[in-house]
Amino acid sequence: MILLDMFNEVMNGSLVRKPYNKVFDWAEALPKNIILQKQIQAENLFKKIGVTFSVYNNYDVSERLIPFDMFPRILSVSEWSKIKKGIKQRSLAINAFLTDIYHSAEILKAKIIPEKLIYNNPAYDIKMVGFKVPKNVYSPIIGTDIIRTDNKDFKVLEDNCRTPSGVSYMIENREIMMRMFPELFENLKIETVEGYPSHLLDILRSLLPKNCKKEPNIVILTPGPLNSAYYEHSFLADMMGIELVQGSDLFVDNNIAYIKTTEGPKRVDIIYRRVDDEYLDPLYYKSDSLLGIPGIMNAYKVGNVNICSAPGAGIADDKAIYTFMPEIIKFYLGEEPVLKNIKTWRCYNEIEKKYVINNLKDLVVKEVHGSGGYGMLIGSDASKKELENFKKKIEIDPENFIAQPILELSTVPIFSKNKLSQRHVDLRPFSLIGNKKFKLVSGALTRVALKKNSLIVNSSQGGGVKDTWVLSE
Amino acid sequence: MLSRTAENLYWTSRYLERADSISRLLEVAYRISLIPNTQEGYNNEWESILSTSGTKQEYTDLYKDIKKEKIEYFLLFDNNNFSSVKNCISKARDNIKMVRTAVTLEVWNAVNTLFYRYEEYVSKKYNSKELPEILDLIKRQVNLIKGTIINTQLLNDGFDFLTLGNYFERADFTARIIDVKYFILLPSSSFVGTQVDNFQWSLMLRSVSSYRAFKWAYGNSEIDYIKIIDFLVLNSQCPRSLFFSVEKIYHHLGRLKKSYGEKTISIPKINTLYKKIKNTSVNDILDEGLHDFLTNFIKDISSVYHSVEKKYFMSN
Repeated sequence: MILLDMFNEVMNGSLVRKPYNKVFDWAEALPKNIILQKQIQAENLFKKIGVTFSVYNNYDVSERLIPFDMFPRILSVSEWSKIKKGIKQRSLAINAFLTDIYHSAEILKAKIIPEKLIYNNPAYDIKMVGFKVPKNVYSPIIGTDIIRTDNKDFKVLEDNCRTPSGVSYMIENREIMMRMFPELFENLKIETVEGYPSHLLDILRSLLPKNCKKEPNIVILTPGPLNSAYYEHSFLADMMGIELVQGSDLFVDNNIAYIKTTEGPKRVDIIYRRVDDEYLDPLYYKSDSLLGIPGIMNAYKVGNVNICSAPGAGIADDKAIYTFMPEIIKFYLGEEPVLKNIKTWRCYNEIEKKYVINNLKDLVVKEVHGSGGYGMLIGSDASKKELENFKKKIEIDPENFIAQPILELSTVPIFSKNKLSQRHVDLRPFSLIGNKKFKLVSGALTRVALKKNSLIVNSSQGGGVKDTWVLSE
Repeated sequence: MLSRTAENLYWTSRYLERADSISRLLEVAYRISLIPNTQEGYNNEWESILSTSGTKQEYTDLYKDIKKEKIEYFLLFDNNNFSSVKNCISKARDNIKMVRTAVTLEVWNAVNTLFYRYEEYVSKKYNSKELPEILDLIKRQVNLIKGTIINTQLLNDGFDFLTLGNYFERADFTARIIDVKYFILLPSSSFVGTQVDNFQWSLMLRSVSSYRAFKWAYGNSEIDYIKIIDFLVLNSQCPRSLFFSVEKIYHHLGRLKKSYGEKTISIPKINTLYKKIKNTSVNDILDEGLHDFLTNFIKDISSVYHSVEKKYFMSN
């Protein structure tokens, strides 16, 4: 694969770009033995805090650390303010879009999005039609995956509107960098990220269900310790000072949700859920599932409890809907998108499909409902046979595929065998949308593909993370 | 607090206490193996360790012969043994992982450190020569965790459940140790005060880590069964005695009742048990029969536990 064209965030020719000036010198001057020693120290710290994710095989559950690289990702004030503006715009548009398609569906009437893309979409929850969610906020927490293509431009790769994860890494990466290299933080003005949990609490508190008239009792609902993001769930509960509950800790009586406590049942008003829609309520979704809280959807519908994010919010981060995001922004806000989309071909369109099939070698093809880097084909890396197979797959089910040009992920160096070596990165900031409130801490998660030349940054496929700095001047 | 949180805290410390108890049993066995000419008592001793830890059946299902290395492995690492130290530590960590938000970072770190340090031994082939350092690791880390709990946890209901788990396990375990060995405590016409008896008694005290404490409590006077029963069952100063555990359970259930503002006596059985053992003398125990006394005690303590479980862990 040819990488020469991709944007190098640190070097401009032989010159170091301004935001990286001091850090680059620092990194170059670090003695090899110190690098090694600090890497071990970082790993031990992550282990000790328990920032791990679970991996299963047939016999056992083991725990892994997400690899952490010490070279920070840095964004200047002006770069960040553009990102912030773009994310705010997108988050507001996404919630307006969700409100619309579950009510009067103006955007469909205006023929901006084809009806079948909504109504035939498994992520569209027909049972949510006509229900007014508290404060019209369907998706209060959005993780936006952004890539940098050149000196000026950031583009959105994906919106995550359901239960985006990774925010605990944003905070812990910073904690660990501050512990290991305090001198860097004395010499540079770096925005803090530690306010995130209290902002999140503030946002959730603003999303009261209709019948809650007092200080709400808020809980986080987790699938449990075997979930790969369990550490994050417990971290957030801890930082917000709220209970971390599993489905079995909750029950519904007379349309009121309770948690079981040592002092008897205690009413719950707001559930920040980190479980998927289909595990919320067995009476409502999967009748054969033992998971979930029977009756919780009724309690939700009568306004006794709020569920964040709202069931059915996932339609907004569907890859087929993604391609319409520029139109969605224009339709609801009357503005031009600040952050552009990646050029995307929609295979359900006959002409675009032909283009995809004829140019497969130069494209990345994704399944519309896939996530985590699975079900993805990178044309330039694929063998002849793989290409042929994928062509067949697309012909059989064109609506399930979109294609994009091979991504131009910018590069930032990592410490590799004690020297700096360029790797591809993306960026995931976490925005918060409440009742007439928007909040974005100045920081994000940077995911990095640790394999040389790899473009896949997902932790399940060999990705690592970096601390991400937004400079305050 | 969440019922599940209470239950997870309870089991965290119950499993840690069990890991600790098993390591102390093994320490005694190790000691025996260093003493020459005890071949006759050797097999008995290893068997009684299995009986005390309640795993004799599992062991004989898995292995044919009673052998030192096999038993050590079985008690320390065997996945098939529900109560192996490995399983106890994993379960303690699984439980505390579910309630990370209810313990301090220091408590979490201490449990996590035990887990990772022990994993180093789990992942390699067991070498019997390493037994002393393995036992040291377990005892040291468990003590560290307990100290961290006392020094950093808020003394709220969570602390009560952590403490309850510890003492329910200890009460049960000490009762079992005495029961398995009760025959050596009974006066027999020919052996009282002989070398064999003294040796057996001292082993028993060691297995509950109370050899020195016994000396402090009763001075240089000769060891006899009355003193040992008094020490391990009734002594209010001995942290391994049955009375000590019962008193702790009584105290912490009382605190829970108070902090939850419960009006009625929620767990009446603990009052009965507490009063019974408080007003008992060694002679009363011998009249009842030591074995029967212990059997009833184990039954009573488990019945108190079931009331706690019903009231606090399954409430809705």
